[in-house]
Amino acid sequence: MRRIPLAWLNLLHERTRLVVAIAGVAFAVVLIFMNLGFQGALLKSTTVMYDEFDAEVFLTSPQSLEISSTKAFPRERLYQVAGVTGVERVMPLYLEYMLWRNPETRLSRAMFVFGINPQDPLFLMPELRTPEAIQILQQPDVAFIDRLSRAEFGPQTTGLETEADRRRITIGGQYTLGGGFAADGTLIMSDQNFRRFFAPRPLDMINMGLIKLKPGTDPEAVVAEMRTLLPKDVRVLTKLDIILNDTTYWLENTAIGFIFTMGVIVSFIVGIVIVYQILYTDIRDHLREYATLKAMGYGSNYLFQVVLQEAVILAVLGYIPGLLIALGLYRLTFNATQLPIFMGLPRVVIVLTLTILMCGISGLVSVRKVVTADPADVF
Amino acid sequence: MRTPLAWLNLTHDRRKFATSLLGVGFAVLLMFLFTGFKNALYDSQVQLINRLNADIIIINRLKNNMFVPSAFARRRLYQARALATVASAYPLYLSDVRWKNPENKTTRPVRVLAFNLADPILPLPEIQAHLDQLKLPNTALIDERARVEVGPREAGVVTELADREIRIVGTFSLGTDFASGNGNLIMSDQNFLRYFANRGPEEDERSFATADIGLVKVVPGAEVEAVVAQLQERLPDDVKVMVRSGPGDSFEAQERDYWRDSTNIAFVFSLLTVMSFFVGIILVYQILYTDVADHWTEYATLKAMGYSNRFLFGVVIQEALILSVLGFIPGFLVSHLLYGGAANVTGLLFQMTPGRVLNIYILSFVMSLISGAIAVRKVQSADPAEVFG
Repeated sequence: MRRIPLAWLNLLHERTRLVVAIAGVAFAVVLIFMNLGFQGALLKSTTVMYDEFDAEVFLTSPQSLEISSTKAFPRERLYQVAGVTGVERVMPLYLEYMLWRNPETRLSRAMFVFGINPQDPLFLMPELRTPEAIQILQQPDVAFIDRLSRAEFGPQTTGLETEADRRRITIGGQYTLGGGFAADGTLIMSDQNFRRFFAPRPLDMINMGLIKLKPGTDPEAVVAEMRTLLPKDVRVLTKLDIILNDTTYWLENTAIGFIFTMGVIVSFIVGIVIVYQILYTDIRDHLREYATLKAMGYGSNYLFQVVLQEAVILAVLGYIPGLLIALGLYRLTFNATQLPIFMGLPRVVIVLTLTILMCGISGLVSVRKVVTADPADVF
Repeated sequence: MRTPLAWLNLTHDRRKFATSLLGVGFAVLLMFLFTGFKNALYDSQVQLINRLNADIIIINRLKNNMFVPSAFARRRLYQARALATVASAYPLYLSDVRWKNPENKTTRPVRVLAFNLADPILPLPEIQAHLDQLKLPNTALIDERARVEVGPREAGVVTELADREIRIVGTFSLGTDFASGNGNLIMSDQNFLRYFANRGPEEDERSFATADIGLVKVVPGAEVEAVVAQLQERLPDDVKVMVRSGPGDSFEAQERDYWRDSTNIAFVFSLLTVMSFFVGIILVYQILYTDVADHWTEYATLKAMGYSNRFLFGVVIQEALILSVLGFIPGFLVSHLLYGGAANVTGLLFQMTPGRVLNIYILSFVMSLISGAIAVRKVQSADPAEVFG
């Protein structure tokens, strides 16, 4: 005979309360998801540009903090490693902020500028890789604009003329990148134009060196070799390392890490309280039954299991709607803010674990009452 | 005296009552936490502005927030002084620069505030106390609320600022924000020139020809709004003249609006606050529902005795009220502690103003009321005959 699913029946006994309980767990789950989601999205948005760089190894100054606050270093460092076996191409990248004037409102706003050699296939965006785009980029005072730049920068039509850092500038085309935390909008221009706009900055000081490797080359080995070749005034990082470096910077140097971690912790505790309330009431209501079971000879162990089972059932039942609501809210957030907030498998697993842990703790706290239940007392 | 039924119902089971209060307290805490972060991020942006000793601010027309490094011609301040209603006009120089942490040698950006020490720019007693030392070359005061990443924040630190030696002679207290990076330094305008007049081709050269923020004091009795209009009229359009703080078209409001409009802070934290509100509703509903279910027969008896639905409704609403008040108090106290801790860790300005506390209380009251209204339906449909049937 199948065993009677006591935990399940206990929970199911009073439907309304079960629904409220599930809603409670679900909301705690949603809160945790949202906190993690916002944190992840903010961090992700700071490093989206790296996904579009067609390079495996990066050179930066040891004084660079993250991509928008870099310190320039000599371009020679890049050429010094161009001969390392496995290197296909070395590409300098110039970075700077520039005031861009919205031609409609005439208000200026800081734009983040990437200066590249137009012949370098530095970005993966297809819009920049056509021969026409390369030809347009080579024209004086022309730049491509990011479609994801904020609306405050004004229209983005090709051929539009406006003013940037007291020079006339023409939009030559558009691409999709996103500037993340540090930039409301981005521009890509040729190194020659970069020189024009940011004079007297010389081109032999670069902000970042990008190194494309031949297919099949191990980036780690190349990085190790480059480190032995280069002096200490430049850091050599793989793509993964530089993304980690930037993420860590934002996590540690802004309140982002602190705020959302605290959000997760408090949501977790709230979840414990919610589940505890439910289990506690359930135990109190069924105290007689539990005591009867004990009198019948069931061990504390069995009752312990029943309560824990209830906790896990609540966790799973609350988790599913919580996950669905969170998915909806992620969608809403993405539509409203364009933050790259997406559900990843690790987060799904982590939150599920947290939920079970949360319900488990509540179960453990509330189970004491059952274990100590003395049949004689109850009756 | 009437029997305080709501109170007795709630306190009947002490342990459950404690859990209930804990539940409401946590919902309150969550709302305090998320609104607190939102407000802190906004308030921190304007704390420097609100401490400037000025009635009126003059800035470059392009400077629509503190991040924009555009400066304006200092002669505009002399032009402003020509006005009979203007008592004084002083320049404040700002620059972001790299600071080397003397302990681990990493560099972090900090913001330097520089001015003529004879000008009353910031009402900080520490400036007067260290006046003589600040007049020496390569000295500065450091914000004791700067982030820990800058290293020890105390007098006697010798390290590098913009690749030059700097000696810290004292501290002051201001706090960080988005624009200040990891903290603030205060130095004399003479020292400012030493560090920023020539920083190489990558950085803008600074001189006394341009100032970042102009501070204008009006003569006693003059109406500030009128002086603003006069100044804007008299000065060329390359500068913007605004009241320092207050609602409407003020420098403070401009800064707040910028951060509200150009970041997702409001969206993120408002969403989290709304979620906390719902969590609170569920928590309180659970409590009230269990209570109603537990006292089901009692409620039915009361009905049979002739008490109306309104009376029972009143009892549940009273319970909701009691919960919202009693749960609010621990929630508020814990939040208060958390605000203090968060302010220490982040260097942000966490303010708990009476208005904000009241707002959260109203939210928790509405939360309890909604839960009460849902839970009470069951009482109203209670039919004595069925309950005892």
